[in-house]
Amino acid sequence: MDFMELLNFYIVPGLVLGSIYALGAVGITLVFAILRYAHLAHGDIATLGAFIAFAAVTLLGLPVYAALPVAMVVTAFAAVGIDRLFYDYLRERPRIVTVMASLGVALMVRSVVQVIWGVDAESYIRGIARPENWWGIRLKDREIVTILSMIGLVLALQLFLMKTKWGKAMRAMSDNPNLALLSGVDNGKVVFLTWLIVGGLCAASGFFLGLNTELKSMMGWQMLLPMFAAAILGGVGRIEGAVLGGLIVGVAEEVSVIFLPSEYKAATAFAILLLMLLVRPTGLLRGKVL
Amino acid sequence: MSPLLDMREVRGGYGDADILQGVSLNVAPGEIVAIVGPNGAGKSTAMKAIFGLLHVRGGKITIDGEDITGKKPNLIVQAGVCYVPQVDNIFREMTVHENLEMGAFLRSGDLTSAYDRVYGLFPDLQERRKTLAGNLSGGQRQMVAMGRALMLDPKVLLLDEPTAGLSPRYMEQIFQICRDVRDVGVALLLVEQHAKQALAFSDRGYVLASGANRHEGTGAELLADREVAEMFLGG
Repeated sequence: MDFMELLNFYIVPGLVLGSIYALGAVGITLVFAILRYAHLAHGDIATLGAFIAFAAVTLLGLPVYAALPVAMVVTAFAAVGIDRLFYDYLRERPRIVTVMASLGVALMVRSVVQVIWGVDAESYIRGIARPENWWGIRLKDREIVTILSMIGLVLALQLFLMKTKWGKAMRAMSDNPNLALLSGVDNGKVVFLTWLIVGGLCAASGFFLGLNTELKSMMGWQMLLPMFAAAILGGVGRIEGAVLGGLIVGVAEEVSVIFLPSEYKAATAFAILLLMLLVRPTGLLRGKVL
Repeated sequence: MSPLLDMREVRGGYGDADILQGVSLNVAPGEIVAIVGPNGAGKSTAMKAIFGLLHVRGGKITIDGEDITGKKPNLIVQAGVCYVPQVDNIFREMTVHENLEMGAFLRSGDLTSAYDRVYGLFPDLQERRKTLAGNLSGGQRQMVAMGRALMLDPKVLLLDEPTAGLSPRYMEQIFQICRDVRDVGVALLLVEQHAKQALAFSDRGYVLASGANRHEGTGAELLADREVAEMFLGG
């Protein structure tokens, strides 16, 4: 196997998959940094986002890429609603109670998706997308859009967190919650903003998974483990770490197919997660939270 | 002079038990007042009571005549009292300048004069405005913590053991900073473990024991008191 073959058949698909994981992992790391719990409904909210985009395409007749912002906004408010309904009143209880509640929410969201859209595979566009040749690297348009959108969304998020008053308030709440409260930061507003962002990112990751593969009601749940592996690999609480972790897990999964039967692809993320927890539980870039 | 901060017969605690059994103290404008006492005397608890971090069951706390008893911290901040906790009093993953910005979170409008005042008090911080606060030395962190609290332009600054864990050299530096802060018109109330040094540099002091007032007076009076001396200076 020559280098171009490795690049075209393993690395490029790995980076695309990795970008999708990265979008999810950034959300997981944000929830961890600010709310301090593992959010297990993350994958299924991504599924919900993917299907909301599907509805925008099939019912409203929107072009595929125009469905993305619609899905992000709707899912963002759905995530805020889920927080208000199920997590908010558990805030004073031990964190593990909320983690378990999020597992329940995961099952519930998935069932809602199955009731509305059924359990069959769907896709945004019919037909086969042909890759374009870019100096020997073969890329489909949707793959370029996936990678560039991930970079764009993460940069926008970083800009928001570094430059704006409320972005800084979110970082302050993550850094030292008591001092943030003493400084007059309204915790409720920070939680609201967090879910708005996390919901939007979930929808984007679900949308791009659906765009590059197909839409299934289990799609998000199956992404949960690699997304957590990516967040922990990069160092929990670090946005740039989650992106790096997502890309590494994505590429590792695709490259593993060279050595292992493809049924074991999902086990790669698990192996990375296990290895990181044993060897360097704070992640590649030292995590802020764990 | 009428007191700026007045705490009368305050009782309260975290759970059901009262840690404070009736503590009274006051701070006048331009004063540095120290609260000292043995471990478990309720020194930090008294400070937290002022700042609304504790269940106050009796007594009254006023700032400039305004009743702040049992109010939430963000309202107390607006009344003109800022609090620097003993530990975890900075945002480690944020720069020095961002720490000050968070201090001014409730303020709007032009903050240039507030930044100038803090950087004027702490020239060390001016040089390190882009450094992450967690990477600073202990003394500099304490400056960040105080600077953050000063951004809201408080009338009274509450400091919970500002010299805890610092070397004697830094302790002297922190005391000097306290005098500088006083000189720009902010009264200070501090809880101190280093009783002797704290009383020597404060205008007045209160000695608490078992959650109640034991002695009060000027720093010099308390240092000269035989009972106080036995309590702290080993007889």
